[in-house]
Amino acid sequence: MSHRPACHLHLHETRTRVGSMDVGPFTFDIAPGERVAILGPSGAGKSSLLKLISGECTTTSGILNLMGRSLSTFGPTALSHLRAVLPQAYQNTFDMPVKLVIGLGRLGKDFDQNSDQIIRQAALLARADHLLERTTVGLSGGELARVHLARVFAQLWEARDGLLLVDEPFAAFDPGLALELSEQLEMFTRLRGHTLIAVLHDVQLALQRFDRLIMLERGQLFADCPASLKALPDLERLFGVHFLVHQIDDVLFLRATTSTRDR
Amino acid sequence: MSRILRNSAASATLGLLIVLLLAVLGATHFGALVLDQSAWLFWLDTPDSDMLAVSNRQILWDIRLPRVLFAALIGASLGFSGALTQALFRNPLAEPGLLGISSGAACAAALSIVFLTQSQALGGAASHWLVLPLIAFSGAVLVCLLLDGVSRRWMAGSIAGLLLTGIAINALAGAVIGLCAYTATDSQLRSLTFWTLGTLSNASWTLVTVASGLLVGVWVATLGLVQRLNALLLGENIARHVGVCLPSLRLRVVLIVAALAGFAVAFCGVIGFIGLVAPHLVRMTAGADLRRVLPLSAMGGATLLICADTLARTIAVPAEVPVGIFTALLGSSFFLWLLVRGKGRAT
Repeated sequence: MSHRPACHLHLHETRTRVGSMDVGPFTFDIAPGERVAILGPSGAGKSSLLKLISGECTTTSGILNLMGRSLSTFGPTALSHLRAVLPQAYQNTFDMPVKLVIGLGRLGKDFDQNSDQIIRQAALLARADHLLERTTVGLSGGELARVHLARVFAQLWEARDGLLLVDEPFAAFDPGLALELSEQLEMFTRLRGHTLIAVLHDVQLALQRFDRLIMLERGQLFADCPASLKALPDLERLFGVHFLVHQIDDVLFLRATTSTRDR
Repeated sequence: MSRILRNSAASATLGLLIVLLLAVLGATHFGALVLDQSAWLFWLDTPDSDMLAVSNRQILWDIRLPRVLFAALIGASLGFSGALTQALFRNPLAEPGLLGISSGAACAAALSIVFLTQSQALGGAASHWLVLPLIAFSGAVLVCLLLDGVSRRWMAGSIAGLLLTGIAINALAGAVIGLCAYTATDSQLRSLTFWTLGTLSNASWTLVTVASGLLVGVWVATLGLVQRLNALLLGENIARHVGVCLPSLRLRVVLIVAALAGFAVAFCGVIGFIGLVAPHLVRMTAGADLRRVLPLSAMGGATLLICADTLARTIAVPAEVPVGIFTALLGSSFFLWLLVRGKGRAT
């Protein structure tokens, strides 16, 4: 195994500004291979934190290091080899072949001989293989999301210890597909040692499939704790609800009820 | 139906190539004098006594063929730069004419005609295909950089903002050109009218050579950028995350678009809408993949301008209508149709 840096992502007093909202300061480290879910009510700054980490929002102050180097010192091509980003929404003005969209994930590769094969496998993994011969206009939201998921898979296909940032990846899927694709995403990142940072709505999914929860409220860090049932009190305060918990063997069932009506 | 068309990309290219060749043949046939096809057979000797055959041959090789080829090259440049502009601004309605890039070039050219010829700096034979184009090019670069700044800093992602900036630039350039016309002498005024109308009438083998050299150079410069531009079509952030260095890509495309628009304007004035219509027709049948759109738009633009120019030459024989009037007629109705169809919806 190649040398693994002790800390993959390092934030220290990092702030950014999105529109009129100040986000941060954030101070935390994320270890290689860690699987982090970012949770919080709407407008808490989850996507802003992800954009801060991805470099889409510039840091106004503080430190943001990736593998011991300041993020701003990476060139775009070098960065594309070890980090992929799946945004929440996609522009779909132009009618592009699906195969091309997935293949564009491999744009930064110089000599890319197996690209056709990798595109096919990435599409298979993202359950988008049946869309390969189609074009993007006319796809449903869920289908387009799968195509872009396949694109980030293709981008990090042969990378190791990479970083994958995803913003509400399962929002557009029906429950069965969301479950299946969250398993595929987990398998993909585990096999390659990628770190996964995901903005999520689904608390149950975050508790079950992630190692760590970062909770945000009004642009500030609310709590940062391991993903276990011990985080439930924090989650209840964060969302202002009460969770009913059932655990059958390994399977966790959560149901939110309004906090005022304790049952 | 559209799927069948897409899968047979090669046959679409071939079909368009055949249409283009037919257009060239037809355009050389029709004109003030309808030519006999035997004029093509340059290897046959014609007796000097056969006046008609001799003059036929002269018209074809010295006047009509360079004119048609010139129309093809300028049309290809316009179609190509239109497709590139639309990719750069991720906007299917962007076009060098609409955004004011062409009028920026025309404005610079008009200023140089009126103020530089007075100081005798713009004399000499080379000025027509070198000095003037370079001045027009710098005007186009300025407008491109301004548009780029507007579309990114002040009105990020706003299609309306971009088009409004284009309107403002067009109005400004119109005012400056008007001012130039007001202060111009009679001979300068005649040159100026030419910019505002757009005509291919000074076609010559020299210009054909210069234009084809430019087009080949631009083609080579674009080859390495096509996939990066495809990524840009998915959105700026996605392009950045898959490894595209956006500032360098932008600068290169801006220079290419400005070179094409600037030279086209310097050679033949403002010929609008070809850059809008050709890429649109291509995208409607072949999808938005730029590897296909760019060459097909160039071919489509060439075909369209040849047809428009043939009309311009023949409709009022022996006079010649400026071709810009025809492309504006054709293009503006097409543009309206696009708006009505809701294809150009702002996103």
